[in-house]
This record gives sequence, C-alpha cells and structure tokens, in this order.
Amino acid sequence: MNASGSNWVLDLLSRDSMPAPVDWVQALRRQASDQAATLPQPRRKLETWRYSRVETLLKASFTPVVQAPDISGQVVPAGISPYKLVFVDGWYSESLSHTDGLPPEIRIGSLREHLDQDSVRKQLGQLANAGENLFTALNTALLNDGLFLEIPDGLVLQDPVEVFYLNSAADTPQLAQPRNLILVGKQASLTLVEHYLPGQGRGYFHNGITELQLDAGSRLSHYRVQDEASTAWHLSQLYLEQDSGSYYHGITLSFGAHWARTEYKTGFRATDARCDLRGLYLVGDGQLSDFHLDVHHDRPACQSREQFKGLLHGKGRAVFDGRILVEQIAQGTDAQLTNDNLLLTRDAEVDTKPQLEIYADDVKCSHGTTVGQLDPQQLFYLRTRGIEKKQAVHMLCEGYAGEIIDHLHLPSLREQATDRMRQALERI
Amino acid sequence: MLSINNLHVNVDGKEILKGLNLEIGRGEVHAIMGPNGSGKSTLSYVLAGREGYEVTAGEILFEGRNLLDMSPEERAWAGIFLAMQYPVELPGVNNMNFLRESLNAIRKARGEEELDAVAFMKLVREKAATVELDDKLLKRSVNAGFSGGEKKRNEILQMAMLEPKLAILDETDSGLDIDALRIVAEGVNLLRSPERSIIMITHYQRLLDYIEPDFVHVLADGRIIRSGGKELALALEEKGYAWVLEEDAA
Ligand SMILES: Nc1ncnc2c1ncn2[C@@H]1O[C@H](COP(=O)(O)OP(=O)(O)O)[C@@H](O)[C@H]1O
Ligand SMILES: [Mg+2]
Repeated sequence: MNASGSNWVLDLLSRDSMPAPVDWVQALRRQASDQAATLPQPRRKLETWRYSRVETLLKASFTPVVQAPDISGQVVPAGISPYKLVFVDGWYSESLSHTDGLPPEIRIGSLREHLDQDSVRKQLGQLANAGENLFTALNTALLNDGLFLEIPDGLVLQDPVEVFYLNSAADTPQLAQPRNLILVGKQASLTLVEHYLPGQGRGYFHNGITELQLDAGSRLSHYRVQDEASTAWHLSQLYLEQDSGSYYHGITLSFGAHWARTEYKTGFRATDARCDLRGLYLVGDGQLSDFHLDVHHDRPACQSREQFKGLLHGKGRAVFDGRILVEQIAQGTDAQLTNDNLLLTRDAEVDTKPQLEIYADDVKCSHGTTVGQLDPQQLFYLRTRGIEKKQAVHMLCEGYAGEIIDHLHLPSLREQATDRMRQALERI
Repeated sequence: MLSINNLHVNVDGKEILKGLNLEIGRGEVHAIMGPNGSGKSTLSYVLAGREGYEVTAGEILFEGRNLLDMSPEERAWAGIFLAMQYPVELPGVNNMNFLRESLNAIRKARGEEELDAVAFMKLVREKAATVELDDKLLKRSVNAGFSGGEKKRNEILQMAMLEPKLAILDETDSGLDIDALRIVAEGVNLLRSPERSIIMITHYQRLLDYIEPDFVHVLADGRIIRSGGKELALALEEKGYAWVLEEDAA
C-alpha cells in the first residue's frame, strides 16, 4: 500500500462538489482534504488496526451524501423521550424531529444551521484534529451537517434528549458522516440517548464524529445504541474533554452492523473530573465489534472507570483495545479498566488488549480482562431447578450483560436493551 | 420411589462409585454418612444429572422411570431436588426472578397454572420467613456474596417453593453455626411429609439430632457398606468410621 495517501479516500473526496455553507468551514474542509490526501491508509500493520479487518471497508465503494436526502417513507421509532432529533444520512431532518417544549436557552439541532454561532466557530475541530487519522480527515473534509447541542451554564434538563441516525434507501451504498458538537455548560446536566439504526439503508458506511466539551461541574449521561443494518459499516469517534468536577457517564451498546468500531478519546482540562466509559457488545455470524479507548489522564486527581463486556456467538469477532495513559503530573489518578468476554461458541473470537501506561507514582490504577465460556456449574444449577437449558443460557447471558445495562439510568432504555439482547439470543 | 442398583460411576476415568445399592421408599428420610472423598457428593450429582459423570454399570429408577435417560431439568420436573454442598453463585441473576422462573417451569411440568405476581410474592415471603431469610437477599443476585449460612437457607427456600418428591440435601449442615443449623433443620422438618422422601448427606451426627432419619447408611469407597436405623449414627458418633470400615474389610 502506498504510504502517501489512500486512493480510496481520494476517490471519495473527488466526488464532493457541493461547496461548504460558510467560508471558515470551507477552509477547515480544504485543510482536512489536504491532510486526508497525505495520511497513510489504515492497514493491519498499524497497531490500531491490527485486529480490525479494515481492508474490506477500504475496498468497498461509497457515495458521499452531499445534500439533504429524500426522507419520504422514513419511519422513526417511537422513542422514550418527548424530544427527538432525527438525522438521515447524517443530515438533520426538521420534519422528522420534535424539539417543541425544550427550554429556549438550549441551542439544539442542525450543526449546519448553527455555523454562525461563536461557540461553533471556536470549538468545531478543536478536539477532533483532522490530521489525526484518515476517518477524521474524511469526515472533516466533507463536513456538512450533524448534531449541535449547547446547554447553557446551570441548566438541568430532566427529560432525556433522544437522537436517531437513520439512512436513506439508495442504489449505491452511502457514506453518512454526521459531525456532532456537544457543549455542556458549567453545572449543567443532561441525558443524551443516541440510536444508530438502518432506516431504509443497507450496506452504508456511517463515519461519525462527536466532539464533547464538559465545562466545570457539569454532567452528561451519554447513552448510545448501535443497531445498524447487518450489512452496514459503522465507525464512531468520540472526542471528549472535561473540566474540573465534571462527570461524563458514557455507555455504548453495540448490537448491529457487519463491522462496527467505536473510539473514545478522552482528556481532562482540570482536576477532579470523572469519566465513566462502559460498553456492551453482542456479535454473531458475520459481525465484528471493535472498541478503542484512549483515556488520557493529564491532570491530577481525576477518576476514570472503563468497563466493557462482550457476548460473542456464532462466528462473531470482537476487538477491545483499551489504553489508559497517566502522565507524571496526574497524581491521585484513579483508573480502573476491565474487559470481560463471554464466548458462547468455539468459533467466536476476541482480541483484547488492555494497556496501562503510568508515569505518576501516587495513583490507584488497575486493569483486568477475561475471556471465558458459560460456567457449566451455573448452567447445571439452573437446570436442576427445572429451567430448560436454552432458558438457562439466556438467564446467564442477561445476568452477565445486566452489569452494563443496569448502569443505564432510564428504565425504558434498560428494557429496550434487554429485549434487543433477548431477540439476538433467541436466534442462536 | 427411588431404586439404585449396582451403580458404577467414573469421573475423569477414575471409578468413584463401585456398585452402590440403595432403596428409598415414599416418605422416608435416609441419612448417608461417610468419610470425606467416599463418593457422597458424586452420588448426589449423578442423581441430579450433572455432566461428566460416566455411569459404567447399574441403573437408577425413580418412580419406575429410568432416571439416567433424563436431563437435569426433566428430573427436576419429575420431582427431584438437590440442595448442593456448594450452592452456585449466579451474578446478575436476580434471586426473585430465578425462583419465579424455576417455580413456573416446575408448575408447568406438573400441569399447573403459572402463579401470578401477587400470589408468587406472597408465597415467597411466607417461605422465606420459615428459613428466616432476609427479604433483601431475594432482591440480590442468586447466592452472590451470600454467607455460607445464607446460601444454605436459600437452598432450603427453593426446596420449600418447589415441593419436590425427593430432596437430596448434600451437607446442608456443613459450615453452619448452631443457630443456622437449627433454622435450616426446622425448615427441612416443615417439609417432611408422607409424600416426600429425603436423602440427607452429612458428616456429622449433629444434624441428625434435629432431623431424625428413618434409616442411616454408611458410604465408603463408593459403596454402601452398612445400613441401619438411627442408632447406627449414634454408634458412628461414638466410635468413628474405623470400626465399620474394619468390619467391612473383614
Ligand atoms: N470433578 C471431579 N474430577 C475428578 N475427581 C473428582 C471430581 N469430583 C470428585 N472427584 C473425586 O471423587 C471422589 C469422591 O468425591 P466426592 O463425591 O466429592 O466425595 P464426598 O462428597 O463423599 O466427600 C474424591 O476422590 C474426589 O477427589
Ligand atoms: Mg461432598
């Protein structure tokens, strides 16, 4: 493979003809475009792509969606919140969304419509540096729309805000690239629930980026449910920065897609912040789930918890790569990482790689990973109580996954997630 | 009710049960005693249908049915219950849900209606009270983080809920202090009935002070080497196992 850029990305870039809506975005795009052209193509030789079968993605051909797509026939699921925002192929759809009743001080909706805001101009691209990797560059080079959400200082919203990412029916596989910017003001508090769903799409590539800034003392509960089409590709990169005393409570449930990768890149701006990252992945035949964490403790006395659990069946594949870097300055860091994997079949396979890099001496850090099968003793115990084997397997899997699902503080979402898992287990 | 004839069982290629015979009649309480490693738990697992126990000879009939052809759940449906020596922890599986799934599975097998939530709760509370099991433990994961005594009481609670025809209690007394032992024994005594047979596996005479057996057997080196009434237990308590083993060897 040539080290001087990727034909795959050049081909995608050459097909975007729509100009950016404002000059400064045009400049941002152009710069990203230049970077995309020189960044090396992801390949297995690179450590971050070692286990992730990225070659097939880079052989597939996609069409960037350069204008708001046709939304006729799109059905948005009922949802659990009075407020919902709907994106189709990464483009905001006002007619499918419902934001009435939200406090007017909240700025929310299409990023494209908010490009004139100072905060957008100041923050967009600050955390997600286009030069970092090909997919961030690609997203930025074709930046069109996405979710913008800015909660002013002190505002506490009780009801969750729910976001749906859907895809349109298209003859050729689409490239959907929502670009999200989420700014949570001082002492503000919000629950954000995101659903990644097929809509009418098949074989598409979702290449999403979310930049999140949590100001001092704020709290964001951020729940993400990836349930893409079984033929789809999904990449989410989350860039997070937290100010002092803030609390990010993040959970990603990964159920769908042929190939799904979620990357968290988190850092702290000040002391005493807390970052919880949790995830559950359920993969079967023809599926790969991949989580990459890059948790950067570069301020003292911050806390992070990374807890990821996988349930693999059939020929399901999973990758977990969790890196915690504790800089010398980050004394008093408390970081605990665990990754557990339950393999229901012999053909399922997982690569798990926890990495703790610690340069401070006064820290409380640990990591642990497990890969195992269902415990025959537990199965036997349930069966001696009259519970059939299949049901016993389900109960144990639910119990196992419950350790993640129970952290969702919305009961209706917990129920949805449990039902979704049951559905998948029913088929095995 | 239960008839075990010339049972030979291998575990990992090693013969553990070596021609065991045992007859249990309806409503009878049998105590099985014996030295450590003699095969008592192996017998209980074979009765409950655990995998990895290879029956090389012999048969087990339960109410005339060939037990060895039945899966563990089928045995439970038929009325067999094993209170385990080491009850298994099920992290994430709610105790109440577990009891409910279990009871409903067994009721279904018996051709009975499932219990509705209200009736179920009432029954659970009532039975939990008989073994003095804290309600809080019903809301936790099955056995996870329970003390030894709590685990054993949870086993007896399950037995009380499921109302088996044959209950096998494998060292339900071990690791219990005297108060816990009394509570567990009372729980078991409440379940004694002319319709229910009980096999009590124990190391100590102590439990038999609380639950009086109709028959006592000594299991040593994979066989029942002596059977008698409750006076046999007293003799064992007094003289230890050595004399039975010696007489058997002679
Ligand atoms: N899973 C197993 N694998 C190998 N050996 C076993 C296993 N379970 C029991 N044994 C052996 O079988 C014999 C009987 O064990 P057990 O039935 O537990 O005795 P008891 O309950 O009378 O103390 C012992 O020698 C024990 O080491
Ligand atoms: Mg034993």
